Amino acid sequence: MISVKKVNNKPLNLLERIYLWEIGRGLLVTMRHFFVNLFNPKGTVTVQYPEQMIPLAGNARLRTRHRLKVRADGSPKCVACFMCQTACPAYCIRIEAAEYPDNGVEKYPAVFDIDLSRCVMCGMCVEACPEDAIAMDTAEIPGGVETRQALLLTKESLLRNLPGEPSVTGAANRLANDYLRARGEE
Amino acid sequence: MMEFYEANKDLLLFTAAAGVKVLVFLGGVMGLAGLLTLAERKVSALMQDRIGPNRASVLGLAFNGLFHPLADAIKMILKEDFVPGRAEKLLFTLAPFFALVPVLALFAVIPFGDYVMVFGYQLDLLIADLPLGLFFVLALSGLAIYGVFLGGWASKNNFALLGAMRGAAQMISYEVVLGLTLVGLLMIYGSANLQDMVRAQGRLLFGFLPAWGVVYQPFAFLLFLTAAIAENKRTPFDLVEGESEIIGYFMEYSSMRFAAFMFSEFVEIILVSMLAATLFFGGWQVPYLYETGFILPGGAALPLNHYLVAALQVGAFSVKTVFFCWLMLVIRWTLPRFRFDQLMGLCWKTLLPLALLNILITGAVLLALGKI
Repeated sequence: MISVKKVNNKPLNLLERIYLWEIGRGLLVTMRHFFVNLFNPKGTVTVQYPEQMIPLAGNARLRTRHRLKVRADGSPKCVACFMCQTACPAYCIRIEAAEYPDNGVEKYPAVFDIDLSRCVMCGMCVEACPEDAIAMDTAEIPGGVETRQALLLTKESLLRNLPGEPSVTGAANRLANDYLRARGEE
Repeated sequence: MMEFYEANKDLLLFTAAAGVKVLVFLGGVMGLAGLLTLAERKVSALMQDRIGPNRASVLGLAFNGLFHPLADAIKMILKEDFVPGRAEKLLFTLAPFFALVPVLALFAVIPFGDYVMVFGYQLDLLIADLPLGLFFVLALSGLAIYGVFLGGWASKNNFALLGAMRGAAQMISYEVVLGLTLVGLLMIYGSANLQDMVRAQGRLLFGFLPAWGVVYQPFAFLLFLTAAIAENKRTPFDLVEGESEIIGYFMEYSSMRFAAFMFSEFVEIILVSMLAATLFFGGWQVPYLYETGFILPGGAALPLNHYLVAALQVGAFSVKTVFFCWLMLVIRWTLPRFRFDQLMGLCWKTLLPLALLNILITGAVLLALGKI
């Protein structure tokens, strides 16, 4: 059963049909807002964005500028598996993998670019990451910039840990070390 | 040289005085029109609990948005001046002038003060003292239709042409009401010279009430304001252009040509405000202020310097003008838009009969009082 809302459309009475009285009442409402806001600008709802920030609403809080987590030894937690690049619907991630010279089984990203001008902030890369290496929790909102180049996030600008975040030795790192130790190449 | 000066002294002085008055008065009007483009956005913002534009800054000083008109002008000048390939080039170029020039010419007959004595020379504070000023106003404001219609027609765009048709129909209809609402004032003051009409409003009614036009003709004032806003193509009668949804007559215009149309709208706001102040709210009259100073109804008097009186009168006129400009902005941002049939119905079925009725009643009362 569809719920039907009955609107009480009364026919206009004489005063309302003359308009002028109702126009006057409408003007009083807008004039009240005008004068209240003129003498007390604090009442306005405008957020003067770059200078003034408010807590983000809902899921927007969960998806802000990207970062790559860092291990205790300063290396990126990312193993260049290309999962995020594959999952990205906007094709904005570009990874070039490289190998550690001392470690023949583990890769790292030599290049990790995120083109924010294409990014749709969907968070698929975060969900796809098997290493929990990429995150979108910096609470920074990419703002307006003057060149397209400034919207290109490189590996250097992505690598960071949040203050107080425990740096861990990643699972991949530990497994690789175990594997190498077992082969006696440590 | 001196001979020439002595022979044509009156004419030369008159020319110089007129030039100065044109520069000062039109400069003030233009400045106010520029500020109105900002005020429109600021007033609407404050009415809607927002702040409005406040970012344009010079040397880091924004003054809460005071430089936005300047920034708009620079932006408009730098835009591409586009002319459609099939447009009538000459008329397309002329249309913005037709929109702007008649409106600017109208300020010539509006008195913005009584007179000032400068080195013994009496300087009347209005540019052209026409005996039939009111008819000059009505005639020239009728010319503004040409700007609308030529703009729509010359751009050879069907939507622009439709907008122009709407505009022409609306302006011609409301022109009639606008003229008829003022007939009552003509009958009361017995003069079509705006300066005479303002002087007549300096009298007192019953010994204490200023004899402003709105006291004699409150009903005509409401009709005049409605018709004037419609003539001005402002919300709630802005379906000529309907800048947000409907496409108007200047849709093919860009750059400064577009700016000329927009600017003429803001100048028209000032014009209508000045006319409302002049005809219905005493023009430059300050209640109980006479040439020698304040004389209150009780008999108390405060003699004032001639220049102070003149400054007070010009100031009063400015305040009244700014108030009506503000009122028109508030009306615009309060009321929704009429439909076109409602617009025409309001004009021909409501305002026109009421205006005629107003003339009839005014005539009957004047006859009963034996003033005719």
